[in-house]
Amino acid sequence: MSTAAVITLLAVFVVVLGVSLITRPRNSSTVDFYLAGQRVGVVTNSWAICGDYLSAASFLGVAAAVYVSGLDGAWYAVGFAAGFVPVLLFVAAPLRRFGEFSLADFLGRRLESDRVRLTSVGVVQVVILCYLVPQSVGGGITWELLVGHGILGLSPYATGVLISTAVIAVVVAFGGMRGTTWNQAVQFLLLFAALLWLAVMVTADGFRYGDEVPVHTEDPVMFGEPGARYGHLGQVALVITLAMGTAGLPHVMNRYFTSPTGRAARTTTLWVLMLIGAFYALAVMMGTAARDVIPRSVADHPWLEELTVDGVLRVPEHALPVLGRIYGEEAGLGLVAAAALIAAMSTVAGLLLASAATWGHDVYERHINPGATQKQAVRAGRLTTLIAAGLAAALAVLLRPETFTPAMPSLVATMVTWAFAVAGSALTPVVVLSIWWHRTTAAGALTGMLAGGGAAVAMFVTAGFLEPSSLRDLLAAPTLVAAPLAVLVTVLVSRRTSAPESIREVWVRMHGTAADRQAERLARMMVRRKGKS
Amino acid sequence: MRAEPEVQDTPAEVDAAFRTLRRVAVTYFIVFLAVVAAFPVLTMTLDWWTESRLLGDLSPAFLAAAVGLYVVFAVIGVAAATLSSSVEQRMLGGTGAEGPEQDPTDPDADPFGYGPEGWEDFGSVADEPPGRL
Repeated sequence: MSTAAVITLLAVFVVVLGVSLITRPRNSSTVDFYLAGQRVGVVTNSWAICGDYLSAASFLGVAAAVYVSGLDGAWYAVGFAAGFVPVLLFVAAPLRRFGEFSLADFLGRRLESDRVRLTSVGVVQVVILCYLVPQSVGGGITWELLVGHGILGLSPYATGVLISTAVIAVVVAFGGMRGTTWNQAVQFLLLFAALLWLAVMVTADGFRYGDEVPVHTEDPVMFGEPGARYGHLGQVALVITLAMGTAGLPHVMNRYFTSPTGRAARTTTLWVLMLIGAFYALAVMMGTAARDVIPRSVADHPWLEELTVDGVLRVPEHALPVLGRIYGEEAGLGLVAAAALIAAMSTVAGLLLASAATWGHDVYERHINPGATQKQAVRAGRLTTLIAAGLAAALAVLLRPETFTPAMPSLVATMVTWAFAVAGSALTPVVVLSIWWHRTTAAGALTGMLAGGGAAVAMFVTAGFLEPSSLRDLLAAPTLVAAPLAVLVTVLVSRRTSAPESIREVWVRMHGTAADRQAERLARMMVRRKGKS
Repeated sequence: MRAEPEVQDTPAEVDAAFRTLRRVAVTYFIVFLAVVAAFPVLTMTLDWWTESRLLGDLSPAFLAAAVGLYVVFAVIGVAAATLSSSVEQRMLGGTGAEGPEQDPTDPDADPFGYGPEGWEDFGSVADEPPGRL
């Protein structure tokens, strides 16, 4: 292991553990453990949501997809960034105003149904697992590249998976939402800084976006033109799947419950939209730069020979770390690898916390032990965090990225697409209808969720057996079909059943702003009082 | 120090605001879908979209996917958030005099906009049960 690798790993662990120690929870209440006391400000929360959302799939995967598929790979970035438009328009403010601890809890309370809550818990767990495994894979890939050694007889990849997941599981279990929020905020800033550094380095080295893209249009994969990987239908299907999925991602949506008010949640989303737009624009640029820089660097950097075949990377996810090493040698590799590790870890943190909220709060507190003390509930959350982490790490160790690379532009990005597909097909339609259509019923939501989720899984499994075609593109990104199906089923069944009796109170709570105004007035008074004293 | 009693929203007020907000959200969502769908439509119908060169030899298609769409999403977000906040301010709360209209991107516009100092100060807000603020 090189000195740079040691320093990088130490820096990552010091940042993560140090932030967690400083921001550890002050008491053992579930509001503090799961929601950071509902006092997370707009700027901090927007950074934390970015840290939560910008995973290994975004940092390593988007650049890898652009590196492999050119303009068609950029659609991953567009889809990921587009996701916060529906969140801003339909979800953020009313979801926060309604309150609760998690998406499943929101649906259960809004529709007054334990069956809806428990079914949502099941769907949420599928989404979390689909999202968690690729993050652990990202941790393994980074360790493999950065350290290159395993411990206790394990391969470097397995060692990376286990260590990165274990560290973050401990941080989440003991830091709760407060520690996780600060970690994710700091991690986003580090991630963004690493990408900016790379952009500056490749530009200083003479990379010019406009000059390089047309050159690659001559390549067999039509780098600068659409149609290399996705047909027109496939493009739209992918963007819609990613865009609609964001509003159903439990780890991202749960963060909105930490905002002090609905208006703060809306403003937070606006900041997120701008920050991730900038991030993805840079990620696309880096994927393009890797395509230009890496082939011409093989001659000057012999270490590239074992990572490439004819100047093309064997594992596309290595694109950014390799750029880092080309421009900054071991220190550059260390910086980019640290950012990749951080990207994976910050998302793992959010996912583990979301998992803890669903099992610890929605299942344990609501169903298994309704009379649980705050201490018992928090302990249940911590325990489920550790179990979910163990399961994700085990699955990630079984999946090696090289096995999948010929079939997929980027394993990490593709697996995350599955999570988006299930979330966007099963959860988003039901969440949006529950917020905006007062006649939504528990029976409607339940059948809609199962229809959307079932259709999404059936479609992308079927896609695996088909030859490349427009139909396969559509089935592989199924939300364009599955979400309207979920809406249709929810509406049809809801029309035949009765809405909850408390709908009028629910509407005032979810769409009214009295609570926002009261909280804001209270905050202003306290700021004034502090100013006087 | 006690907070002044807050004007509660009536169900009729909330319903009226809700319908307006829903119209705003659906309208901007249609704009969003149209922007996303326009890309393949332009690719199929307009050679200029992929073959001409604009800034730094980039085609309009590549420029859109690499930078332009993110800018459009941000513009949609700013417009929708500004309008939604303005609708809420005018239609809810009874007084309509909560202060001047605010830029939603301005952290100063929100009393919760800052880090640890900001969030830790509002202890009494956190003491409320979730969803009952």
